[in-house]
Amino acid sequence: MNWMNIELVLLILLPTFTALIMYFSTGFNQRARNSLAVAGAGLELFLVLSLFIFNLEAVKESDFFLQSTMGYTDTPFVINFAMDNLSLLFSLIVTGAVFLIVVFSTQYIKDKENIFFALFFLVLASIQGSILTADLFTLYLFIEAVTVLTTPLISFKKTKETTRAAMQYLFYGITGGVFFFISIILIYFNLGTLKMAAVAESFGLISTPMQLTIIIFFLLALIIKLGIFPIHFWLPRAHSACPAPISALLSGVLLKVYLYIFMRLFWTMIAFDFLVELHLSTFVLDLALVSSLIGHIFALQADNLKKMLAYSSIGHIGMILAVLMLNTEAAFYGGLLHIIAHLLMKSGLFLSSGYLLRTTLSHHIDDLKGIGHKNRLVFIAFIIICLGTIGMPPLVGFVSKWFVLLAFLEARHFFGAFVVGAGSIIALIYYLRYISQAYETVKSESPSLREELVSITAFFESTNIMKNVIYIFTILIIFFGLSFKFFEMPINTAIFELLNPQKYIELVLGG
Amino acid sequence: MFNNLVFIILFILGLYALIMKTNLIKNVIGLNLMEAAVFFWVISFSDIGGEVAIHKLGEEITKFNDPVPQALTLTGIVIGASTAALLLTLIIELNKFSGTIDRDELEGLND
Repeated sequence: MNWMNIELVLLILLPTFTALIMYFSTGFNQRARNSLAVAGAGLELFLVLSLFIFNLEAVKESDFFLQSTMGYTDTPFVINFAMDNLSLLFSLIVTGAVFLIVVFSTQYIKDKENIFFALFFLVLASIQGSILTADLFTLYLFIEAVTVLTTPLISFKKTKETTRAAMQYLFYGITGGVFFFISIILIYFNLGTLKMAAVAESFGLISTPMQLTIIIFFLLALIIKLGIFPIHFWLPRAHSACPAPISALLSGVLLKVYLYIFMRLFWTMIAFDFLVELHLSTFVLDLALVSSLIGHIFALQADNLKKMLAYSSIGHIGMILAVLMLNTEAAFYGGLLHIIAHLLMKSGLFLSSGYLLRTTLSHHIDDLKGIGHKNRLVFIAFIIICLGTIGMPPLVGFVSKWFVLLAFLEARHFFGAFVVGAGSIIALIYYLRYISQAYETVKSESPSLREELVSITAFFESTNIMKNVIYIFTILIIFFGLSFKFFEMPINTAIFELLNPQKYIELVLGG
Repeated sequence: MFNNLVFIILFILGLYALIMKTNLIKNVIGLNLMEAAVFFWVISFSDIGGEVAIHKLGEEITKFNDPVPQALTLTGIVIGASTAALLLTLIIELNKFSGTIDRDELEGLND
């Protein structure tokens, strides 16, 4: 047993223990439970931040690396956690967003909070595990854990709609998991190892047809999990059925984690040259671009606010995947920046949509009439975040989209540049549809009794925490839009990892 | 070659049941068939006619079956069983809400 760098294991164990405490917190009063949940998420954020700050010098030099091994180190099969600059960046943004979502949900969730928080923290632990692991099979376990644990969260409010969405989500997720498992098994039979670094060293020794099979199964699994065009039907349903914090978690955080796994698999483990050699990179690039366009077009016809946001997520994820497939430094910069921007914006949008629901009957566009008059400040925040997603200049969405556009133009990929521009214009139309509806003056007739009751109870129930979280997201979006240079150092070091996988391989195998 | 053939037949049967059948329970069966196909295949590959890889201290075995695929398969079976249970629970809930377990009927009822 090696006690070195135990904080990596702690990053996974801490949410697990918080989940345990949360599950048995039925006897606690509201305040104690909420503060424990916030403390758990805050401690996790503090741990990651302290890793970042104490190793700031190493991060700047791009040689930051931590490794923790569980089990006997002399056997070939040990549980191995490693953290380099790329994992640090993702761990940081994921934990930060999750902390804010936890603060929001302490107020939002009114029923069965102990189960909600237990599942939520277990999902956080699995996400951290899949970011940190350096071993294929552990990665598979953590991905499956995320899928299985998010399913009861999607059907948290037990209605027909949510149950169906959760069932569909689980069907697709498990099918993706089976494909992933086949790939892992093929790698094991061909190379006799499951360590990503060891696989990376000798992947070229496998025969070409077998390489193709392995890569295709990995791609299938990740395309299902990311909701790329041919297999995207489950995503809008699953992301719109669940409570608002879970929508933010799934759409804002979890999709980025799958993107991270994509990068880890296809840049660190399987060198990107193999994808180019097998002519798969252009195929995935075009597929992602088509998916992006289709996501934006479908968002036009969505009559439900959350469904519209989910379709817009498909559009953005397709764009990020496409720009990453260009495999240039500018493309990585744009892609990673847009990952951060989209994480902030989509979490903020879903959380504010959850807040707006308190004063309306449903998320249907007809029920949103006049909502801008009822919650003025929150709706202004919502509009600002929408403008960020469209790509208005002072906001973070503009900066990231600008760099994505530059990367496409630099690579002379004009269809990609067209999709970025067209996506923005279509996004403008579908957001304006909702915004204009929200400022429609309500008829002078007295509202129906039920509506009035809903708004009165919502007024008494609402406190400032949920609003404040939405304002924090808005302020972050404005702040990072003005000072996006803040991310330049961590993103550049992450790009260094993507361009030089040799460093990760040597350090994992050597340590 | 025989194990590859069995794997492909079972896997395609499972995929057929998952995609083409509209009964949700049959879909779950198809999914489990797919998983079972993969597990059979893994085990048949890892069996090279040797002994079990568990032995007493000091005792030497020259040829033993690789234990790692077996461990992977055991974990996979556990995941498969739990997801099947979760899926069936959701289908029971769905049946309570809408009185049907047919995929197409569910789609039709909603819109």
